[in-house]
Amino acid sequence: MDAGISPIDLFLNASPSVKMVFLILGFLSVVSWVIIVQRWLVLSSARKGVTSFENRFWSGMDLSQLYKEGSVMQKENLQIVGMENIFRAGFKEFMRLRQQGMADGEAIMEGAQRAMRVAYSREEEKLEKHLPFLATVGSVSPYIGLFGTVIGIMNAFLGLASQAQATLQVVAPGIAEALFATAIGLFAAIPAVVAYNRYSSTLDGVTSSYITFSDEFSSILHRQIHST
Amino acid sequence: MNKAFNTMVVFNGYPLSVVVAIVIHLLILGLLFYLQSTSNAETLELVQPTIVKALLIDENPQLAERRRLERAEMQRISEQRRRQEQEEAERRAEAERQRAEEERQRQEAEREQTALVERERQRQLELEREERQRQEQEDERRRQEEITAEQRRSEEQRRQQQEQDRLAQQAAAEAEAAEAARNEFELVQSATGLIQQLLQESWSRPPSARNGMRAVLQISMLPTGELIDVRITQSSGDAAFDRSAERAVYSAEPFSELQSLPIRVFNENFRSLTLTFEPQDLLN
Repeated sequence: MDAGISPIDLFLNASPSVKMVFLILGFLSVVSWVIIVQRWLVLSSARKGVTSFENRFWSGMDLSQLYKEGSVMQKENLQIVGMENIFRAGFKEFMRLRQQGMADGEAIMEGAQRAMRVAYSREEEKLEKHLPFLATVGSVSPYIGLFGTVIGIMNAFLGLASQAQATLQVVAPGIAEALFATAIGLFAAIPAVVAYNRYSSTLDGVTSSYITFSDEFSSILHRQIHST
Repeated sequence: MNKAFNTMVVFNGYPLSVVVAIVIHLLILGLLFYLQSTSNAETLELVQPTIVKALLIDENPQLAERRRLERAEMQRISEQRRRQEQEEAERRAEAERQRAEEERQRQEAEREQTALVERERQRQLELEREERQRQEQEDERRRQEEITAEQRRSEEQRRQQQEQDRLAQQAAAEAEAAEAARNEFELVQSATGLIQQLLQESWSRPPSARNGMRAVLQISMLPTGELIDVRITQSSGDAAFDRSAERAVYSAEPFSELQSLPIRVFNENFRSLTLTFEPQDLLN
């Protein structure tokens, strides 16, 4: 063995099973990073969407005006995110039921609330997508790395058995290779766990603000029904 | 929502995420390569574990002396052979020259004589017979001389041949002796290694042992490998250390492997043995 062993050498000299472990872990790491970045984009846009829409909503603007602006945006093929979708679903249902001449205020309210609940759960689903994958990577890849380590050390000792004299130079490369598998496992797991924790707390914040908003909005609708 | 952000998250932002993830991994790989190339100079150093080593130095003056003598003998023989060859060549060249000279003289004499006979045939007819007789005698003498020279030469050659044979035999005998010595040397080496291992196993070093301490023990053994006597010829300065070395020798005894050695080898190398105890690789 040369003076220095680079991680690349370790990978190239590894036994097939350990190589397999390396490949799996590399793949998991790449995929989890894809999800980390994509979720970051989605969640940050959702969080920004919450503040900007709340600003517009509480600016005293007429609700039908707000709805029309949203329709224009939809026509321009701009994405409507999160809270605005809930608002639009509830408002649309409310207007439709009223125009149908439904006299029962409670029924109208119930219809609007149901529409908002559906929109809410759709939004929540959008935000939650792929997060369980991050959790899985975070908890499983150390085990995969450990598996590679055990296999690698097993190989090292099997190689040792065929040697007449057990020197450090004989065992060392095998053990280094084996430990490298654990290192890769941790390398894949750590960002996934950090991102999962971070994103689930962000998700909690966003969904709770959705719930608050839909409650507030239904109270506004309630007022409208009873004021007329 | 601003437009730039919307275009950034086109297709839910997946293409961008893939690109970012791959770039991150490539960066990390590149970093690994870079660190590797920069840290190549300072190679990993294996830290040797702490091992107490009983060093047994085989001080065998007889063997060393004999090896030195053998070497000198070899050199002397080759020198001698070279000198002999040179002398022989000189001698051969000399003989050649003498023969050529004789030949020339003989021819000259014959020519002179025939001319003399031609010129003074009438005048010396009566002398002719006498002359011929004399000449014959001369010839005879010369022939005899030649024969004796020939005999001497062949004798010389045979003698040289014998000498060469003798030298070759001597060289063969010497080679055989060297071979035997080498075998013996191997035997001695392996026995030494065994003793060393036994001592290493049985030596428990006292806590007062320090690097650089050195105890030299002289032990005497029977051909059965049993110990007769242990003497400390050079103390390490630490009584506990000396005692531990002594104890190691006593607990390693008997060195029953020595029984298998030829008695001559034993007598020359192991009847009295010098052991050196040195702790090495201590951390203090």
